[in-house]
This record gives sequence, structure tokens and C-alpha cells, in this order.
Amino acid sequence: MKKLNFIFLLFLAITLFTFTSCDDDEGVDVNDVELITTVTLQFNLPDGTDAGSFTIRDTDGDGGNPPVKESINLSANTGYLISAQFFDESDPADVEDITEEVNEEDDEHLVCYTASGLSAPFDLNTDSNGDLLGTTAAITTGDAGTGTLQIVLKHEPDKSATDACATGETDVEVIFDVVVQ
Amino acid sequence: MRLFIMTLLLAQPLFSIAQPKCEATLCGIVTDAETQSPIAFAQVFIEENNAGAVTDEKGRFHFHNLCEGTYTIVSQHIGCPHVAKEVFIKGNVEVDFSLHHKGVHLEEIVVKEKSVLPASVQTERTLSGLQLNAVQGETLGDALQNLPGVTTLNTGTSIAKPVIRGLHSNRVLVLNNGVRQEGQQWGLDHGPEVDPYVADELKVIMGANSVRYGADALGGVILIEPKPLRETAGIGGEINLAGFSNGLVGVVSGQVDGHQKLSSSALAYRLQGTLKRGGNTQTPDYFLDNTGLSEKNISAALGLQKEGFGTEVFYSLFTTDLGILRDAHIGNLTDLQNAIERGRPIRNNGFSYQLDRPLQRVAHHLLKVKSHWEAESLGKLSLVYARQFNRRQEFDAHKRFGSPPTGFDNPEIEFEITTHTLDVAFEHAAFQHFSGTFGAQWMHQVNTTDRGGLIPNYSNQNIGVYWIERWRKYPFPLELEGGIRFDSRSMDIERRGADVIDRQLEFNNASGTFGAVYHFPKYLKARLHAGSAWRAPAVNELYSDGVHHGSASFELGSEDLTAERATNLNLGFDLSLDGKTTGTGLTASLAFYQNRVDNFIYLEPQDKPVLTIRGAFPAFHYVQTDARLRGLDWQAEWRPVKWLSIGSAISILRARNLQTDDWLVFMPADSYRHSMGYYFDKNATEPKSFLKLTMENVARQTRAPEGQDYTPPPPGFTLFEVEGGTQLNWFGQSVHLGLTVQNVFNKSYRSYLNRLRYYAAEQGRNVAVRIKLEF
Repeated sequence: MKKLNFIFLLFLAITLFTFTSCDDDEGVDVNDVELITTVTLQFNLPDGTDAGSFTIRDTDGDGGNPPVKESINLSANTGYLISAQFFDESDPADVEDITEEVNEEDDEHLVCYTASGLSAPFDLNTDSNGDLLGTTAAITTGDAGTGTLQIVLKHEPDKSATDACATGETDVEVIFDVVVQ
Repeated sequence: MRLFIMTLLLAQPLFSIAQPKCEATLCGIVTDAETQSPIAFAQVFIEENNAGAVTDEKGRFHFHNLCEGTYTIVSQHIGCPHVAKEVFIKGNVEVDFSLHHKGVHLEEIVVKEKSVLPASVQTERTLSGLQLNAVQGETLGDALQNLPGVTTLNTGTSIAKPVIRGLHSNRVLVLNNGVRQEGQQWGLDHGPEVDPYVADELKVIMGANSVRYGADALGGVILIEPKPLRETAGIGGEINLAGFSNGLVGVVSGQVDGHQKLSSSALAYRLQGTLKRGGNTQTPDYFLDNTGLSEKNISAALGLQKEGFGTEVFYSLFTTDLGILRDAHIGNLTDLQNAIERGRPIRNNGFSYQLDRPLQRVAHHLLKVKSHWEAESLGKLSLVYARQFNRRQEFDAHKRFGSPPTGFDNPEIEFEITTHTLDVAFEHAAFQHFSGTFGAQWMHQVNTTDRGGLIPNYSNQNIGVYWIERWRKYPFPLELEGGIRFDSRSMDIERRGADVIDRQLEFNNASGTFGAVYHFPKYLKARLHAGSAWRAPAVNELYSDGVHHGSASFELGSEDLTAERATNLNLGFDLSLDGKTTGTGLTASLAFYQNRVDNFIYLEPQDKPVLTIRGAFPAFHYVQTDARLRGLDWQAEWRPVKWLSIGSAISILRARNLQTDDWLVFMPADSYRHSMGYYFDKNATEPKSFLKLTMENVARQTRAPEGQDYTPPPPGFTLFEVEGGTQLNWFGQSVHLGLTVQNVFNKSYRSYLNRLRYYAAEQGRNVAVRIKLEF
């Protein structure tokens, strides 16, 4: 009988031990969800002159307040060089420039431009493999009018696909209003 | 010729009932199923006319001067569950019983009156024996969906949540070895953390039942019952092997059990373990990237039994890594629309066992200590303490930017939930035809969200008391059962990430049950049940706030939600003409139900989408309505002749949102399953070799609300399954072999209740081989 109780206690002890050894790191609270809060399009003339920078910003992330937009104002029949920039401004004291990370892993990213109401063909820059990247794009505006410009940042797109912009995961999708005068 | 015999056999019992003669004799032998030796002093009785007999030292029994007709013959012996057989008696009939000894009397049924086990007042459906063997190696949900009224809510091919009559997740209770499973049930993509190989029997109690099992059981209860610990001295065990062609899944499961007699007591134990590994599954046209899995489970049980006292310690650990279809990991609504337009995943990298992100990693520990004391004159007191620890980690395919993470060191989401439960139940000795149980349950639960901030940290406490009584005055045909319960639940919600919520919620609720069973003469039993159940809003319903991964929707909880209350009515009929002994007969079960759920919590689509830097997301808010779920489920098996079996199962559900006067979203479509089985050994009462063809037809869900889903419900489909099994004797060991081919014609289809149906089709043909070796 004594032996029996011993076996029983041993069994209990083993199970309890294997149990408690599992929940060790309680209390750790890591909430390091990274965000892109801000998209800025910097427009320059071919000679490098600053032609304005336009931003869409959603510093409080998903939900809460909707993103705040600036409209893009451009001149008719003019050539521009766009550079797309992405920031994490969720902590104003620690603004992170995510464009650098996009450029570092340029083969895994793609910036797609879609214009409506504007005749503006986009000429994208390429990544280290010679595939399209789009962190900078050259355009020439047409006649005066209004329209929109959609910027999409894709992560891990299939750059060999016919419509590469329909693949991969979307990190950013914003639409600017555009006025061409 | 066969047709002639068939009609003859079928006609015989039906016609001859009309002219009863009372000269029939029934005799037989009761033997021990394991040792094949005769059992003396076993009780045998005939339910219909209350006649009883006791076996002699050679296990024999006799009844004389019986009227012609069908009888229920029941045999039982101390320590064995009763065995009932329906027999048509005419002339001299011999019926043999073989009884299985059950455990170390841990769950012994004490026979106080000369009566059989009380019939359940609720509709119950059970998977055991051959049927359970045929689904071994599948997930719990996939195994259960063979029962009418049960479907599954899937996430890809490896995650299947059981849906009982349209309800699932927090509205269905899973009792694993008598303990309420406490994990992260709220998540639609969180499968039950249970190893089905532990089970000797899977039982589903359909409909609201909160009195015995506690709050939340609005839809039903799933009981996972392990085999009782070994009763006879010695050591035994079994090895199960299963292989599936689709995904090249391999499963090894084994168990060893032993029984040791000691001076005044007995010691029994069991060790059990399962290993499962699978790779990418395959649809008829392409492989599904990253859909492999790896599962490792162990369990151990030790029991001690003495006169009037028994105790048992049980421990189990369930661990799994589940790959999630890579293409279902999307960034926004446009990505989802692109995926729907494409109609199939972009990645088609062929077969691989490699598990990558996105991935779910889950571990569930259960420790249970159960003791009972028994005194013949008073009753039985049992005490169960259990501790569960559940850790769920989810690994995303990539962060919003930066290089994709590799390895599994840094989950994006991590929840840990620890639950202690204490159940006390006193089953009083039968008194004036009343038998019943008083019980109390205490539960304490702490949830910590270590990463991800999807749901807040909280703690829960629940105290419940209940009382159930049953009246049966055998052989009076009516049985009655009634019960009442009171629960008090408090929730303390602390914080989500850095946001302090600090809110206390309290819910006090009563629930009740009332049921009746009426035994019509000989063939028919009717059950009527009314039950109520309630459920406190779950933490995700209260505090969700964000974009839900994979479903591209913005979900917002509401702090003001109140408890759900279900009122459930169920009317069931069980027909049993003849039985297994004669090898022919008809068994059928039909149940009608209505489940009215007041304050039913659901996600209501909002007119305005939520705008984010990743585009617009459709918004859904958790709101409450009144819902009504009505339907029927039907199951029948007809054996016109010994070698042929025709089966049928039907599930029909109509689920309405009463406030918007519309259908409820994501409810299972009507399904019909028909089967035809051929038994090779025509003379055996329990055939060992069989071949079965099943046709399953699932209709298109035409009763879905507009504008609450991204695509209309997919078309209906018909699938064929072929199943064969045999039992061999290899060197004195019993070996069961099984072969199943699912989706025989490799049909491409999508299921309405698969959350990944937007991205890919269901898996194609799957050939499964199963070997079970008992020693």
C-alpha cells in the first residue's frame, strides 16, 4: 500500500511539474505592431526644382479618425519626377522613414500608380533585378482637368506576372485628388 | 433469387406480429468479450414484459412461453456496461451476449432497480466502434460531420470546427474526458485542441443543455469519452496507423494499458500518444501552398479502485503546428478581390512537408484528478479538479514592411489562458423511482495576451449550482426528467496592450431543462425536450477593434452587449424494427428542433467602410438580434437482408434573423447523405468485412442575406466515398484494416462554410489506409 501511494504521488508530481514548466513568461506584453501612417509624394521638375509635396496621413492607424488628405496641384503639359515616400509617424517623437526599408528590399516591393481622369503615363524606376520598382516615377501631365491618382505599395508581388499589381499583399492603398491647371 | 429472399425476410416480421402465439423460447449464453469465458450470475431481462433471469455457472439463461414478437433483451453484469439487443422471437431463438468489462469500476453503473439505463431525453448521436475506426486520423470536426445535424466550419483543409445545428465556437461545449475544454474557442479559425485518438466514443448532444454542463451550451455538447481504464488483470494495448494520400499525411497512435490487482484494491493505468505529420494538400487542379501540419500528443492515466472509493489522475498534452494557405494572407480588400477574381492561389509550388509562415502553433495541457466515494444506501459523491493551460501563437507571413520574418521565435499573436475547474456532484441513491444529481461547479480563468493586442487581458470566474431529477417507474412507458441551474459569472477586463480598460462585468442567470421519453410498445420511442441555456458575451465580441486578418473586414466590438439566451425545443422519434441479432431490420431516428436565441450576437455589416492607409475595409459591428434556428435531422439504416445495408442521413436548417427579417449568414446548407453497404460474412451478427458506397449531396446555400459576404454562396456539390474494412487474425492478434477513398471522382468544389473558399477549392481525392492492431 505504501508503495502504491508512492507511485501515485510520483505520477502526480511528474504531471504537475511538466505542467508548471510551461507558463513561464507571463506578463510580457509586446505590442510592436509596425505601421505605415503616412504617404508623401514629392514632385520635382526635371531640373530638380521642388514642385510641391503632397501627403496622406493616418497617424492613429486603422479605425479611429480617417486619413487626412492633401490634393495634388500640377501644371498642364509638364514633365515631373515623382518620388514616393512612406513613414511611420504613429509616435511623433520617433518618426521612422520606411522608404529606406522599401529600397533595401527593392525586389520584394512594388509601387503601383493608377491615374483616372488624367492622361499621364508613368515611367517607373527598376529594382536591383531590373524589374519595376516605382519608388520614383516620371510623368508628363496632359491638358488641364481634374482626376485622381492611386498609389499602392505591394509587398512580395509576383513581378513576372502580367499584372504584377494584382499580386502580393497590399501595405498601402491611397487615392489623391489631382488638379491640373 | 436474392430479391425474393429479401422480400420474404422483410415481410415475415411485419406480417406475423398480427397473430401472436405464446410458445416461443429464448435461450443463450453470456460471455466475457475479452476472455470468451462464460459469465455466471449475469442478469438478463426482457424489457417489454419485465421478465428477468440470471445466468448459471456456464453463463446460460432461458425464457419460456414467450409470445411471438420483437423484444428488447438486456444483459448486464457488475462492472460491465449493459448490452441491449432487439430480437424478433418466434419458435426457439438463441441470443448470445458478450459483455465488455468496463474500467476499474470507475464509471460503474449501479443497478438499484431492475431497469435498463435511462433513455436520454435529448437527441444524441454517437460515433463509436466501426464508424469511429473509419474516421481515425481525421480532425475532431471532420470525424463528427458524419453525424446528421453536425457540419464543420473550416479554415483550409486542416482546421475544422464542429457546427451543431448551425451553432459553433462559443455556442458549443466540448467536454474532453469530462472536463470543459477551455481554449480560445471564440476564434473562427481556432480548431478544438483535442486528440480524437483518445476517444473510444464521440457523442454529440444536440440542442441547448446548460443545466448539467454549464453556460454556453446553446447549440449542443460534444463529449469525448476515452475508453475506461482496463478492468481485467494484465497488460494490453493497441497501435493505430493511418496514411492519407492527399497531403501524404501519416499518423501513428498507440496506447498501452495495464491492470494490477493489489490486496484490497486495484491499480490501472494507460499511456497513449499520437504523432501526425502532413504536407501540402492538393485540390484537383493545384497544390495548396503551406497547408501541412505537425501534431504531437500524449496522455497518461492512472486509476486506483477500492470498495466504495475510486480515484483517477489524467494528464494530456496536445500540440500542433498548422500551416495556413500562404495565398490567404492578404493586405486589404483589393487583395481579396484580386484573389476572388483569380479563383485560385498564385503559388503552386507542388508538394512539400515544409511548414512556413503563416502558421498557428497551439499547445493545450489538461490535468484532471477525479475521485468518487460510494455508499449503497446514500449514493455517489464525485469530485473533479482540472487545470488547463492553453497557449496559442500565430505567426504572420510578414510584417507590414521590412524583411519577412523567418523561423518561429517571434509570434505576432500570443494568447495564454489558464483555467481551473472544480466540479462536485452527488448522485443520490434511487428513491421512490427518482434518481438524480446535485452538483456545483467553480471555474476560474485568466487570459493574457502576450502579443498582438487582439483581445484584452481578462479574468473570469464562474460559480454554478444545479439539480437534476429523473423519474422512471419501470415498466411504465413514460420517463421524465427535469433540472434547474443557477450561474454567476464575473469578468474582469484589464487592459489591451497599453490601453487600460479596467471594467467589471457580472452575469447572473438561471437555466432549466425538462424532458420526457415515451416508450411506445416495441418499436418506437418518442422524446420531447425543452431546454434553456445562456451565454455571456465573449471578450472578442466585447472588445474587438481592428482589421481581421484574412477576412479583410474591420470588426468592432461593443461593451454594452448582454447575455444571449436560448430556448430550445426538440421532438425526436426513434424507430427500431428488429435488430442486429437477426441481421435484418430498420433503425431510424428523426428529430425536429427549434432554437430561439434572444440577444443573439452577430457581426452586422455597416454602410460606411473604414478608411485606412491600406484602403477601405468593410466595417462590421457586433450587435444583438433575436434569432430562430429551425430544422430537422434524420438518420436511418435499413438492412433488408443480412448482407445489405442502406443508410440515409439528412440535415436541414432554416436560420432567421428575426429583427431584420432576413437569413442568418454562414449557416450550413441542406445536406443529404445516402449509403449502401455490402457485408461479406453473411451469417455473422457483427460482420467483419464490408464495402460501403456513400453519396453526399450538399445543396447551394440559397438562404443567405445579401451584402454580408464577398461572394455569393458557392454551388452545391455531390461527392462519392468508398469505404471498405475487414478484420483479420494475425498470429492470434486482431488486426483491423480499413481503406477509404474520399472524393472518388476528384471533384473540384467549394464549401460555403470554409473561410478560405475565396482563395482556393477544397481538397481533391484522398485515399486513406488504416490499420489497427490490438494486443
